[in-house]
Amino acid sequence: MADAVYQPRLLMLATLSCAYPGADAVGKARLEYYPNVHILGVPAPVMFPKEFYLRTYAKGFDGIIIAACGSDCPYKNAYDQLAARIDDLVQDMKQGGLEIARIRTTAICTVCIKPFLKEVEEMKEKLAPLGPVNREIAATLWRAEREAMKTRAAQVA
Amino acid sequence: MEPTPNPLESPDQPKIGVYICRCGGNISDYLDTEKLADTVRGIPGVTLSKVDTFMCSDPGQDRIVQDVQAGLVNRVVVASCSPFLHEVTFKAAVRRGGLNPYLYTHVNIREQGSWAHGHQGDAATQHALHMIAGGVGKVRHLQPLDKIRLPSHRRVLVIGGGVAGMKAALDTARRGLPVLLVEKAPQLGGRSLDLGRVYPSEQEARELVKRLEKDVRAEEKITVLTGSEVTAIGGFIGNFEATISTGSEQRTDAIGAVIMATGFTPYQPPEGEYAFGHSQVVTLPEFVKALRDMPSGKTLTWNGKPVRSVGLMHCVGSRQCEGCFQPQPDGQLNDYCSRVCCTSLLRNAVELRSRFPETQIYDFHQDIRTYGRGQEDYYTCASDQGVTFFRWKGEEPPVVTARDKGGLAITVKDQLTFGEEIEVPVDLLVLGVGMMPGPIADLVDQLKLPVGADRFLQEVHPKLRPVEVAVAGVLLAGTAQGPMSIEESLEGASAAAAKASILLAHDYTDLEPFVALVTPDLCVGCNACVEECQYAGAVTMEAGPEGKSVATVNPGLCKGCGACVAVCPTRAIDVQGWTLDQFDAMIDGMTDEALRVPATQG
Repeated sequence: MADAVYQPRLLMLATLSCAYPGADAVGKARLEYYPNVHILGVPAPVMFPKEFYLRTYAKGFDGIIIAACGSDCPYKNAYDQLAARIDDLVQDMKQGGLEIARIRTTAICTVCIKPFLKEVEEMKEKLAPLGPVNREIAATLWRAEREAMKTRAAQVA
Repeated sequence: MEPTPNPLESPDQPKIGVYICRCGGNISDYLDTEKLADTVRGIPGVTLSKVDTFMCSDPGQDRIVQDVQAGLVNRVVVASCSPFLHEVTFKAAVRRGGLNPYLYTHVNIREQGSWAHGHQGDAATQHALHMIAGGVGKVRHLQPLDKIRLPSHRRVLVIGGGVAGMKAALDTARRGLPVLLVEKAPQLGGRSLDLGRVYPSEQEARELVKRLEKDVRAEEKITVLTGSEVTAIGGFIGNFEATISTGSEQRTDAIGAVIMATGFTPYQPPEGEYAFGHSQVVTLPEFVKALRDMPSGKTLTWNGKPVRSVGLMHCVGSRQCEGCFQPQPDGQLNDYCSRVCCTSLLRNAVELRSRFPETQIYDFHQDIRTYGRGQEDYYTCASDQGVTFFRWKGEEPPVVTARDKGGLAITVKDQLTFGEEIEVPVDLLVLGVGMMPGPIADLVDQLKLPVGADRFLQEVHPKLRPVEVAVAGVLLAGTAQGPMSIEESLEGASAAAAKASILLAHDYTDLEPFVALVTPDLCVGCNACVEECQYAGAVTMEAGPEGKSVATVNPGLCKGCGACVAVCPTRAIDVQGWTLDQFDAMIDGMTDEALRVPATQG
């Protein structure tokens, strides 16, 4: 295993109404993808603050795919709110020197077997030349965001 | 509500039990489940790990119950199939052991493990280990939760007044629940009204409708609204609200559960498919209706012409091969079997032979699927009565052309004579058209109903939860779910009625407690959550102690999306059961470099 090809460690935030059953459908069809993909079922990715993503990179995930429901989102306006958060995150990553290819938002439905496999494969190919995430940079960005949150809280108090 | 303290739970000292399922080889043939169990035992807080061939079996579940009762574990992780199958099962086991069922985490190492990476050796087992470590991370942070109890309306809405809808309404009402039965057409009965005698009982379909309708009309708990449509519907289990329009009149009703008995639409062949459009080509439903009202004789007559021979074509609009047929507007073909056409065609062949003995019958099929009780008899009987069978391959459907001297010619590569090409002249061709989903896009959209690859409404699980859909409180009856016979539709209807009665057995509904909760001590009163929330009244600022404003959640209005969580600067607000601390702990587990499964030797 010493010469193993680098396989980016991927986190997929998969909505329980759409993308998570979509990932199940891929397995049920016995279609394989590379095993360094960690699927995390979530009610709605709109719940994650910027610092969650930054911390996740700092812990060593090389890429994050947000697999949402798109227009099938069961929650009011959540998809737009999510898009605004990710825009904000991308700005921070750009400024802080973290490759923005490491984040991707997409929609995967409950029977979207082919799109699922395509997303995973494309993300893998996009991240392979970048190599492992720079955890130091990510940790610095994460700490800065935690400080910014503290400042916001202090301003109210 | 303060959860009752439970000595077994001791939140400060997690004792985590990890149970790994072999799934009878579905997991253990690909992942090294024994090594997984050995390795997870090294994670801090894990007090025991076990492997079982079927965790979902009674002995498997009993392992959890016994370990909890013995005080060996107070947090449980099961690594097995998708949580959509057995999370409920194992939560119930945790509860039977005496723990709060929410002190449980499910890890999917089958659909998203062995089945997805099964041929990738140690890497697949290593992946599963990290997924389990994520689950262990989460379970350590879980808190006991109680379901949210809301009052529910003990009243059922049945949409569709065909045989399935009437049966569902009757069975529900006879259990004591008031029912609203809404039918679009001016009369009850649906598509059965157009049928003649039906298999396997040879009963007149209209007699069956009449009997059901008589019972429905006599049942005082059923309100029948014909010529009516559900024009708007929303809400959740126990608390739906439906707007029903009858002509220009509208009414709004509070409903606890909804039974979808919306039926099907027969496949309508495009012009030219098997010469459809020719005066001597007819679909099975039209033919059945005409045959029913026709006097018997020596020879069948159609459009004033004697019919010496009839062709019966199977699989019209069903089991369609790619490239052979025109797809539906969404680009899809109907690749499913419509299940009733084989028996229905053969039943009518038998009727034709006995009522019009001088009319010959030629049957063109891919397969004969007379699958149900008593159905094979129709095939035997048709054979005995001289019906001639031709079998075609799915990718080579017969070709039908109009003949100059009248009638039609059917050219078939007959598999029963080893692929010989045969031209069969017929005076009439009956197309055994399949079933398509009914026009219910609005209801699907408003209730967020799941639809399968065949575009029919989809049940949660074909065996374990066959008439429920993923939307709680909505049940399926009859062909809204997929092609089925009258017999099967009625079975489905009775099952849906039983389920609805269970759901509404009490005047309250318990909902999952996965809604936002504020830790008042951490709240700084910045109002960000209130501004971010899209549901009016779900989170508001209330006066707290010492005149401080504190965010407060109304659990009945909160949908649990967590939009508020992302904007809180202090993590004061979280969705219960899905907190950010829990997610952080999962990430930590998934990226724990110290966790390695020993490599397989050789």
